[in-house]
Amino acid sequence: MKILVTVKLVPDTNADKRIDPATKRLVRTGVETVLNPFDEYAIEAALQLKEKLGGDSTVTIVTMAPDTGKEVVRKALAMGADDAVLVSDPGCAGSDVYGTACALAAAIKKTGFDLVLCGTQSTDAITGELPGALAEFLGVPGLTYVRKFEVEGTTVKAERETDNGYLKVSVGLPALVSVTKSINEPRYPSLKGIMGAKKKTIAPLTLADLALDRPIGTAGAKTELISLADPPPRGKGKVVEVADAAEGARVIVEFLREKKLL
Amino acid sequence: MREVIVFIEHTGEKPRRVALENATKAREIAGALGGGVHAVVLGKGAAAVAEQLKAYPIDKIHLAEDPEVDAFVIDPQVDYLEAVAKAAGPSLILVPYTMIGRDVGSRLAARLGAGVTADVVDLAASDGRMNCISPKLGGLTITTCTFKSEYGVAAIRPNSFKAVPGSGAGEVVQLAKPPGKTYAMKVEGEVVEAAGELGVEESSVVVSGGRGLGGPEPFKTILKDLADALGGAVGASRAAVDAGWIPHSHQVGQTGKTISPQLYIAVGISGAIQHKVGMRTSGTIVAINKDGSVPIGEFADLLVVGDAFQIVPELTKAIKSIAATHA
Repeated sequence: MKILVTVKLVPDTNADKRIDPATKRLVRTGVETVLNPFDEYAIEAALQLKEKLGGDSTVTIVTMAPDTGKEVVRKALAMGADDAVLVSDPGCAGSDVYGTACALAAAIKKTGFDLVLCGTQSTDAITGELPGALAEFLGVPGLTYVRKFEVEGTTVKAERETDNGYLKVSVGLPALVSVTKSINEPRYPSLKGIMGAKKKTIAPLTLADLALDRPIGTAGAKTELISLADPPPRGKGKVVEVADAAEGARVIVEFLREKKLL
Repeated sequence: MREVIVFIEHTGEKPRRVALENATKAREIAGALGGGVHAVVLGKGAAAVAEQLKAYPIDKIHLAEDPEVDAFVIDPQVDYLEAVAKAAGPSLILVPYTMIGRDVGSRLAARLGAGVTADVVDLAASDGRMNCISPKLGGLTITTCTFKSEYGVAAIRPNSFKAVPGSGAGEVVQLAKPPGKTYAMKVEGEVVEAAGELGVEESSVVVSGGRGLGGPEPFKTILKDLADALGGAVGASRAAVDAGWIPHSHQVGQTGKTISPQLYIAVGISGAIQHKVGMRTSGTIVAINKDGSVPIGEFADLLVVGDAFQIVPELTKAIKSIAATHA
C-alpha cells in the first residue's frame, strides 16, 4: 500500500512569538522551524499502518516549503518514513488554503497513492481547512477528525470524533484520512533513524513539474490579507489570596456579579 | 457577491446556537451587499429546525430532510450547498467553525473556486469588499482578510455574534436531490459518550481543569458540577488530556480548540502559552490556583489563590443557591 502523509513546517509551537510592527511579519529570529505537531500524529499513524501491513507498503512525506525546509522534513524521515516529496518553487509563495491544496493534490497524484494521511490543522494558521480542500482536489473521500482506524483489505474502518462521542464510519480506498491527537503517541526518532534519514530521498518538485491548470501563490490566491492589528490588550487582573473555601467562593461570586455574569 | 447563505448545523431537531448567531449576522451583511439571506438545513430533523428558523431574519429556508445526509459523512451536505450557491449566484457562505462546518466549508470552497477564511470572529462589508476578521498565531495578531473570488466561505467562531430573533420572509423551499451522486463515507453507527453536553467551542461558560487536579476524577465531579451549575461545558489543558484524564475533544489550547466563551474558569491550570492562545479571547477569565505566581495571573481578570478542591464545590453551592433564589 502506498501511504502518503502531508506535513507543514511551522514556527516552534512553544516559542513566544511576536509580530514586527514595521514589517507586519512574524519575527523569525530565534524561532525555530519545526514539523507541525499535529502532523506527527499522521506520520505515526502511517508508520504503524505500514508495520501492520508489512509487505511492500511505503510511507512518503509530501510537503510544500522553501528548499531550506529539507532539514525539518528529515525529522519525518528519521521517524521512519521511506522518502519525501518537496514542492518548492518561488511561485508557491503567498499561497492560501486553495493554492496549497491545489499544489499538494497535484504532487500527490503524480506520486501515486492509496491512502493520504493528514493532521487536523496547523499550529500557525489554524484554519483546519486543508484536509477537506485537498480531498476535494484529489477527488477522493475525505474522512476527517479520525481518532482510530484500521484498514481491512481496501476498506478503512474509522472512528470519527464528534462533539460528544464518535461516529463509526467505513470508506473504500483511495481516500484521505485526517487524524486527531487522540490516535497515538508519536515516536521519537532513534539514532539509527536519524543516521538513516540522511541517505533517504527528498525529491524536489517545481510548479513546472506539476503542470497545474491554474495559478497558485499570490497570483492564484482566493483570499487577500488586508491588514494586521494588535489584539486588544489583556492586562493583569486582581490576585486574591483566600484563607478558606468560603472566602474563595465569595470572592468569585462577587466578581461574577460585578461583571454581570451571575 | 450579493447573497448570504447560512449553513445551519443542527443536532436532531435543534439548531446549534452558532447557526442562529450566523443567521442574525447574515441579515446585516446581506443588507450591506443588497442581497437576501438564505438558510440551508439538511438531514433528519431539518423540517422541525426550519420551523424554528422562521423566527429569525431569513428570506429563504432551503430544506431537504434526506436520509442520505445522515447515512454518509459530509459529502451530501456539500452537494446540496453547492446547488443552493450556484442557484443563488455569487455569495458569501457562512459555516460554523466546528468540525462539521470546517469540513463542509473547505470542500465547498474548493469546489466553487472560492476563498475560505477560518476562525472568523467578525465580518464587515465595506467599499464592496467583504472583510473577515480572524485572530491568527493564537491571537498574537488580528488579521483582516477579504475574498478575491466570486464566492467566499467564512467559517465563524461560535459566540462571535448574538442570536437575535427578527422578521424575514421565512419562505421554506424544498430542495431537489442533486442528481447523479453516490456517496462513499458510510456511517455505520454513532456512539454518544457525553450526552446532552454542549461542546467547549459553543458554550458561553467553560470550566477547565489542568495538571493541578491530579487525576481524572475531579473532571467528572467538582468541575462537572460547577459547569452544570453555570450551564457550561468542561474543558481541559494539554497536560490533563495527555495524561488521559479527559478526551481530546475537551482540550483548549494550541493543539486543541480555540474558544471565546463569555466566562472561562481555569482550575489548576498554570496558563502556559500553549493554553493561553486557546482562551485569551474569552470575555472574562477567572483562575483558581494554589500558586499565586502562575503565568495565568498575568492575563486572568481574577486569580484566586487557594485550594481548588475546596473552593470549587463551595462555589458550586453558592451559585446553585443564587439560581434557586432567582427561580
